Amino acid sequence: MSGDLFSYVYQFADVFAFLVLSAAGLAIIFGMMGIINMAHGEFIMCGVYVTSATYHMGLPLVLAQACGTAAAGLVGVVLEYLVIRPLYARPLDSLLVTLGVSLIATQGTLVILGSTFPGIGTPLGSFDVGVYTFSTYRMVLFAAAIGVLGFVYVLFMRTGFGVQARATMQNAAMARALGVPTSRIYALSFGIGAALAGLCGALYAPTMNLIPTMGAGFIVEAFVTVVVGGASVLLGTAPAAAVLAIIRSGLNAWYGQVIGQIGLLIAVILIVRVLPSGFSGWLARRSAS
Amino acid sequence: MKRRSLIAGAATLPLVAVVRDRTARAATPLKIGLLEDVSGDLAIFGIPKLHGSQLAVDEINAGGGIMGRPIQLMHLDPQGDNARYQEFARRLLQREKVDVLIGGITSASREAIRPIVDRADAFYIYTNQYEGGVCDANMVSVGAVPEQQIATLVPYMVEKFGKRVYTVAADYNFGHLSAEWGRSVLKPLGAEVVGEEFIPLGVSQFAQTIQNIQKARPDWLYMLNVGAAQNSFFEQAAAAKLNLPMGSPIKIMLGFEHKLFPPPALANMYATANWFEELDTPEADAFKKRWHAKFPTETYINDMGYNAYVAVYMYKMLAERAKSTKKEELRKVIATGNAGIDAPEGHITIDPKSQHTSHRMRLLRVDEHHAVHVVKDFGVIEPYWLGQVGCDLTKSDPKEQYTPDHLPKKG
Amino acid sequence: MFQRLNGPQTLGNGRGFWIGALAVFAVAVAFPAVADPYDVGNFAYFLIWIFMALGLCLMWGYGGMLSFGQTFFFGLGGYGYGVIEINIGAAHGGSLAALVLAVSVAALAAAILGYFMIYGRIGGVFFGIVTLSTTLALAAFVGQTAGPEWTVGTARLNGFNGMQGMSSLQLPWFGRDIDLEESALYYFLLVLLAATYVGLRLLVNSRFGNVLVAIREDPQRAELLGYDVRRYQLVTFVIGSLLAGLSGALYTAWGQFITPSSIGLPAAAMPIVWVAFAGRSDLTATFVGTFVLLFAFQTITIYSEQSALVLMGLLLVATVLFAPRGLMVGVGQSLARYSARRGG
Repeated sequence: MSGDLFSYVYQFADVFAFLVLSAAGLAIIFGMMGIINMAHGEFIMCGVYVTSATYHMGLPLVLAQACGTAAAGLVGVVLEYLVIRPLYARPLDSLLVTLGVSLIATQGTLVILGSTFPGIGTPLGSFDVGVYTFSTYRMVLFAAAIGVLGFVYVLFMRTGFGVQARATMQNAAMARALGVPTSRIYALSFGIGAALAGLCGALYAPTMNLIPTMGAGFIVEAFVTVVVGGASVLLGTAPAAAVLAIIRSGLNAWYGQVIGQIGLLIAVILIVRVLPSGFSGWLARRSAS
Repeated sequence: MKRRSLIAGAATLPLVAVVRDRTARAATPLKIGLLEDVSGDLAIFGIPKLHGSQLAVDEINAGGGIMGRPIQLMHLDPQGDNARYQEFARRLLQREKVDVLIGGITSASREAIRPIVDRADAFYIYTNQYEGGVCDANMVSVGAVPEQQIATLVPYMVEKFGKRVYTVAADYNFGHLSAEWGRSVLKPLGAEVVGEEFIPLGVSQFAQTIQNIQKARPDWLYMLNVGAAQNSFFEQAAAAKLNLPMGSPIKIMLGFEHKLFPPPALANMYATANWFEELDTPEADAFKKRWHAKFPTETYINDMGYNAYVAVYMYKMLAERAKSTKKEELRKVIATGNAGIDAPEGHITIDPKSQHTSHRMRLLRVDEHHAVHVVKDFGVIEPYWLGQVGCDLTKSDPKEQYTPDHLPKKG
Repeated sequence: MFQRLNGPQTLGNGRGFWIGALAVFAVAVAFPAVADPYDVGNFAYFLIWIFMALGLCLMWGYGGMLSFGQTFFFGLGGYGYGVIEINIGAAHGGSLAALVLAVSVAALAAAILGYFMIYGRIGGVFFGIVTLSTTLALAAFVGQTAGPEWTVGTARLNGFNGMQGMSSLQLPWFGRDIDLEESALYYFLLVLLAATYVGLRLLVNSRFGNVLVAIREDPQRAELLGYDVRRYQLVTFVIGSLLAGLSGALYTAWGQFITPSSIGLPAAAMPIVWVAFAGRSDLTATFVGTFVLLFAFQTITIYSEQSALVLMGLLLVATVLFAPRGLMVGVGQSLARYSARRGG
């Protein structure tokens, strides 16, 4: 019986980790800059590929994952400078630009590196609870998801950058007038968002099949988490991921993956109908009143 | 030999107008229209398929073409998009007026172009293994079908590992029909499906499925998962120490998972195939050598690429025996019942009733180091199912896809 | 009538524009007489998609509502046509009735979904995401209908492999049916599209259009001026989505086939790409630009093999960076400037 109970907790933790990790980078870029980054999946793919390449060059997995994260962040900063910066005033157009970037990135990867890429075996083995065996690494993923939430909290609430970033987010013109270097804040935010996407890829690289279009597998979950969460990463992403993880893992367990997937999308529609600006908007209003 | 040197001479001496005109008439190219996805999600399959067709065309052209006519291969890339399949099938048939259309990966892409092929009354060769059942006089299928892949695999797995089976299938037509095939083969054996799970395409996370399997305690897994995302199951199952034998009619020879995942994720996988690169008969070895000489960076010569290669030779045989490229003449050759070629797997023949192809089926096993061993040779198996349920293209042409729950009307 | 076609909400209002437009229409009418039948059929196919682009242009460009769900209504129209046509048959106007009914189904769904969203005050980015979720949910749902239990009357939805067996459009004509294919289909679509274009121009240049643009610019002010903002938005959403349903039904009739991949990603992003590329602020720009883009993407895919998707990506990035209001609006404005300079 304890095996079954643990299994539910494990499944919840697994879906929660997937939602948080795949959404965190997207949420920062959307929350800070109002940009819907259609190339989010390709930042994840970048993290995966660099992790695998450096791992196969002989780096230990953890260092390879650090490389994957850093590479995605770097690409993010460069991309921000080249194509996002000219579009600050037109957030919807940045949707199109990032869609173009996404096409170029997936197909470019296919042309240059081929249709497949060598995988990495999952480390750390397994453990038993009751009749079940569980992959230990997936507990690491859950811990990493908590770590990412903690990192985002510290970054935005406890650092000078965080204060300036929150000021920029609330009123960019005012922040600029007060001497906040808003374009550097935007560039950094975009880079951090991209790096978190890369981290997601780096962490999932040892558990997946590696192909150029693999980023698409994260996109839907990332988007719905961000939408349900709303504009604030701090108030939104964590509760959104928790609620959606309960819905998804419950439906998966009792009705199978098909209902899990459709149910998730319908839940999103209903939640947005009740809370038109997501969890963070609702929480912010509640704390204000 | 003589004709080839004449053509070569004409090409290098463009001023000899008389010679050039004569050879040009003798050598009006025979056009093969090819639709394979070399971009997008399915590129992993489409690229070896394109290579297979190119290799066959090069070899045939080097040997003098078909009936003395060189082959012109016209390939378009539908990028995995069914609408592009429709556009490009029209283009190849109406604008380029190709003699034969080859290609398509998913069943959806095949069904997208079949109405267009039928309307143009063209000749079309589908080169993938699939769920079977298409009864259409305009189409020849050279891939393996369930009676060749599943009716062989499942009894072996039951005998070797036991009667409790868990099915993990992609939630679409191929998965549902193959699961149904599995059930119908399992029932007379007294075996039982202890769990059956359908996974939406594109899903890559399997923690729940793995737990469900552990709870059901099956003897072996019947794997019908499809696509790169769903293949992540193997790594995740291995990480959770699932350690169950797996049987599949599609793994290894199609997606070469044993080459992509580090061992031992695919250990104890059993699969039935008409082709896999580890096949080491002399004919197969010679074929592999030619392939790798032309495409040195190919990771694996998969079943689809092999079928694409065989399809061109199948067409050559039909056209040369019919002395024509007309559909009706080609079908007369098929109707003889001995329209076959010596392929790298062995001798294979087109069945006149269903226009599907017989195959030499082998059962292979993947070990913990991901080496592949042949454990059983089933010999040549006919595609008998369509004929059994009443599809006979020599008598009528319903242009339908039949399934166990959608059979031809009797009478 | 002519006066009402022109106004501040459309580019191209002068005599010169309309003479040019008539000339283009005349060329389009004469085209099948001189062209390869394949090209006629191919152009007819492009025309099919323009309806949904015009619908999105109305919603997004004029109404400020970015719907990511055109493919939802496209799918309803397409599957609706298939189910109805298979059940009632194509003869005696049956296929045309199926077309009309399928579009009505899409319009009804648009009214329900639109009411749900617009009266629930879902706006901005969230409007896009809810419509996207809707279309993804429909794609996932239809994708799992492979089994025989998913049959409506005699029509099988047939899951991922797609629905088939419906007939093409048949036009009853003095006792016999004309099969609408190739050039017959081309003329049918040309007339339908011209009528749609003129109808939409009348709409946006009417009082309704002016109010709609006012709402896009500032919904609160429009509301304070006494307009029922949400009713205007709902009507716009229904018209725009209905046109997507029309595209879907026509597409299914054209290829006698439809699959869930016409409903899911990446298909859902394509109308947005067309309209943004062409210039969402104007109907004519969307019309011309969508046609140009469909033609360009197809040509690129035919001639450049694997680099096609890379080139499309670059085209998209370059358009957004260098022609911020869309390529066709940019071209239109420079033409206008040029002729003004020459005239003045």
